[in-house]
Amino acid sequence: MKTGRRSNELGVLRPYDFEKPSVKLGYALLIALLILVLLISLMPFVWVVLAGFKDQREFIRGVRTVMADGSVRYLPRLLPEVFDLSLYVKTWNDTRFYLYYVNSLIVVAGSAASALVFNGLLAYGLSQLRPRGHRLVLGLVMASLMLPATTSMAPLFVNINRIGLSGSFWPLILGVGASAFYVVLLKNFFDNMPASLLESARLDGCSDLSLFFRIVFPLSMPINMVVLIYAINGAWSDFLLPYLVLNNAKWASGATKETVMVRLFSFQSSNAARDIDVIRAIVFSIIPPILLFILFQRRITDNVVSAGIKG
Amino acid sequence: MSTIKSNALKQSARRHRALKDLGAWLIMLPGIALFAFFVWVPLAEAVRMSFYKTQGMRTTEFVGLYNYSYMMLKDPDFWPAVRNSFLYTGWSLVIGFLVPMALAMMIHETKRGKSLFRTAVYLPNMMPALATIFLWKYLFRADQTGYVNMLLGKLGIAPVSWLSNAQLVIPVIVVIMTWKGAGATTLIYLAGLQSISQEIYEAAIIDGAGIWSRIRHITLPQIYNLARTLFILQIIAVFQILYEPMVLTGGGPNNASVSLMQLVFRQAFELGDYAKASSVSVMVSVVLITMTLVYNQLSRKKEM
Repeated sequence: MKTGRRSNELGVLRPYDFEKPSVKLGYALLIALLILVLLISLMPFVWVVLAGFKDQREFIRGVRTVMADGSVRYLPRLLPEVFDLSLYVKTWNDTRFYLYYVNSLIVVAGSAASALVFNGLLAYGLSQLRPRGHRLVLGLVMASLMLPATTSMAPLFVNINRIGLSGSFWPLILGVGASAFYVVLLKNFFDNMPASLLESARLDGCSDLSLFFRIVFPLSMPINMVVLIYAINGAWSDFLLPYLVLNNAKWASGATKETVMVRLFSFQSSNAARDIDVIRAIVFSIIPPILLFILFQRRITDNVVSAGIKG
Repeated sequence: MSTIKSNALKQSARRHRALKDLGAWLIMLPGIALFAFFVWVPLAEAVRMSFYKTQGMRTTEFVGLYNYSYMMLKDPDFWPAVRNSFLYTGWSLVIGFLVPMALAMMIHETKRGKSLFRTAVYLPNMMPALATIFLWKYLFRADQTGYVNMLLGKLGIAPVSWLSNAQLVIPVIVVIMTWKGAGATTLIYLAGLQSISQEIYEAAIIDGAGIWSRIRHITLPQIYNLARTLFILQIIAVFQILYEPMVLTGGGPNNASVSLMQLVFRQAFELGDYAKASSVSVMVSVVLITMTLVYNQLSRKKEM
């Protein structure tokens, strides 16, 4: 917590309101309600991690309990009988989850670079270079912000197949480079960049392209970080297009080319999967986003406001 | 003499400008090409395809509105999907619209622990959608080992089959969506609450306004515009619901949770009929664009 609260962090209630007992009681109720909300937010995470420690039988039936009259019953319980990481390790190895991790990480790294470079260059052109006719492109970008992306899923899939990119990571990586949302975020940031700075670099003989990489990009680190975090999390979480493009795809070595989310989705259709393996796969799939959140917590929660209008 | 000189100057300036523009277009070209391939062309193709018959990935013959009339008159899943898409939207407004607003107002009042509450409510937003859905599928499992039923069992309530009950399935799915999505909206409202000028409150207090009248006459009107925007964004987002019914229920029981976008997915990727899929997605887009336009019209009137 910061010391010295800014005045705009004061709410409806003022210090002197608390002289009334009814307000004090109401405030206590409000805090109690918020703690309940906190539990509802966090409990599912706790539950899934704990459930992952159980074996299939314990997960399905509950814990073997000897009742007072000597009979044996199986009762559901939150805590596992034993805390033993080896079951997690076994699922990790049996399902060869590391293969999916590697695939996802490749897509994530590529998507992050693609999001910054392609959207960045387009936003730079629309914001600073503004060649004749740029308004048309800007209008088209803004219009695609409004239209649901899923509308075009079927023709997009057809086109990807037509040019032979099915089974490749490229459509996933390059697709992030056409995000109206990132273009608008970046353009708004570039719009506020001091013109004098760009002008003086130009007088030094800097070309438009190197101006972007030497001046505009390094000066936009705050917004680049926002785009980067969203692109990373988006690429990790995406599954519709990855599923369509990578379903059953293989590397030349014969190893699977599916990402973590595609693997998770295929649990849905296979009856062979044991519930407990699905539970552990869920845990594996949420570790990277949670690490990302822990690392960049402040930046993420502070930037939701500009980014959240995405809906 | 001087006019010739100025003409030459003008000409070279024009050439310079044209070269500069060309350079700028080249810089933007990769981005524009990607937008064309991933967004603009597929959108246009979706519209075109919806008027044709398709065989595999090729369009064969122009059939006018046939795909539309087929879906509306002959497809047994269409009208349930229309009804459900509106039900999802309606329920999400009942359950999900006020939750973030109330949460933000509550968190805004806390004297300490603000950042803890902010972080906690936002965390579910970071979860991949698919992982969230699978996780809640287990939490809402029908027998007594489902965690929700286990908690209810402690209160003496018998286990409920949440997802196979036609009456409950949509509200339950909306609860899951709210759990995942409310945090981001809460932070947006919090920013709105923080930007309310303190002087308005001070003035009202001097006039003797109590706590409830401060909320009613200051806080709520001040976040009204924000709420209106978030309202329409929520409608647009929920109307396109796809993953949740697809993974949780497959649209069941008995089409009680099938959504319009799910029909698109089924037609395109399970039945391979891209034309019918496109006709449904065009209809969805028309509904969404109409809602956006109506919203814009209404908000313009309010401002005048």
